[in-house]
Amino acid sequence: MLRESSQRSEEAVQLADITQGLSDQTQVRHADILMQYADAVVRGGSDAVAAARDAVDRAMGGEALIDAAATIAAFHGFVRIADAIGIPYKTAAAGGDVPDIREQTGINQFHRVQNDHD
Amino acid sequence: METPHASPQERGSVASSLDGCAYPIREDLRLSHAQAWATIARPGTWLSGARRVAVAAEIRQARRCRFCEKLSAALSPNLKGEHESLGVLGPAEVELIHRVVSDPGRLSEPWTQTVLGMGLSEGEYVEIVGIIALVMIMDAFTRAIGVPDQPLPEPITGEPSRYRPPGARKDACWLPIVEPQDAVESDGFMYPSPKAGYIYRGLSLVPESLRNYWALANIHYLPGQVIYQFDKSIRAISRPQTEILAARVSALHQCAY
Repeated sequence: MLRESSQRSEEAVQLADITQGLSDQTQVRHADILMQYADAVVRGGSDAVAAARDAVDRAMGGEALIDAAATIAAFHGFVRIADAIGIPYKTAAAGGDVPDIREQTGINQFHRVQNDHD
Repeated sequence: METPHASPQERGSVASSLDGCAYPIREDLRLSHAQAWATIARPGTWLSGARRVAVAAEIRQARRCRFCEKLSAALSPNLKGEHESLGVLGPAEVELIHRVVSDPGRLSEPWTQTVLGMGLSEGEYVEIVGIIALVMIMDAFTRAIGVPDQPLPEPITGEPSRYRPPGARKDACWLPIVEPQDAVESDGFMYPSPKAGYIYRGLSLVPESLRNYWALANIHYLPGQVIYQFDKSIRAISRPQTEILAARVSALHQCAY
């Protein structure tokens, strides 16, 4: 989804940044503050969340903040379903196996892939 | 860590902590939260309303569990120890809830079988996962926008429907699912398209949970009809911005899907 949408918008994305942190190869506008917001909500304390939220609000406005928060929240649900039901990760990306993306993003290092003996 | 709200509000009514938010929350988001909490309060397919609300409370308790904290920091997910639970639900439910909340990226099929072997049925397992997904979305949203967790609803009495889709079978996933071609009329609405992806099919052993989940998730992320329209955004953030958030959150959870 990320690769496809960035290709359409002609904004460069370094897929490894998703696991390794943002580099200057990713050119999506406000990617830095959005990723800090996601990081804070997933694993930061309430002060970190507040600081990241303020940064998004200042740079992008309240409506964008809400939609960013909603997206972050949505993926707290998706991951639980995928991982608890054991959805085959090779069916991601509209049902097609995407080994090149798994390699580029670093997903091959995840526990689920490392322990997949199929 | 935040403390779960202990005081229930009016029976089956909707929560209102979103009203205290300083940011302009979309009306469909407000409504989706209200509807999701109302569905949690009602009797489900395998769980009573009281048990469903107890699951929601235990989900919040998992965020305070010191064993879960140790577990998610440990090199191996096979750490031995005891979850700090509220003491309302049984050990199988507690293990399922705490692990899925705290360490979802390291679950495995053998672990799933262990939980089922502790006395949960497949339907109960899937229904609980559905509630976890709902509560995680709503609590992550309130945390992100800086308002308190919404109070838990008062459970509604009544009997679970105990409906198991006749077309459910275990094949592609660790739990049985209903493939689109196997869905029947008595399942109710299941799939917007016969090509619905596996993430869409995940909760299909409990069709009501599937419907409740997607009613909430689509409002937070994107409705199915626009997901593959990559050059279009219906939100106040661009599509690449949406996807960078989605990918980052998934990666932080070690989700390979």
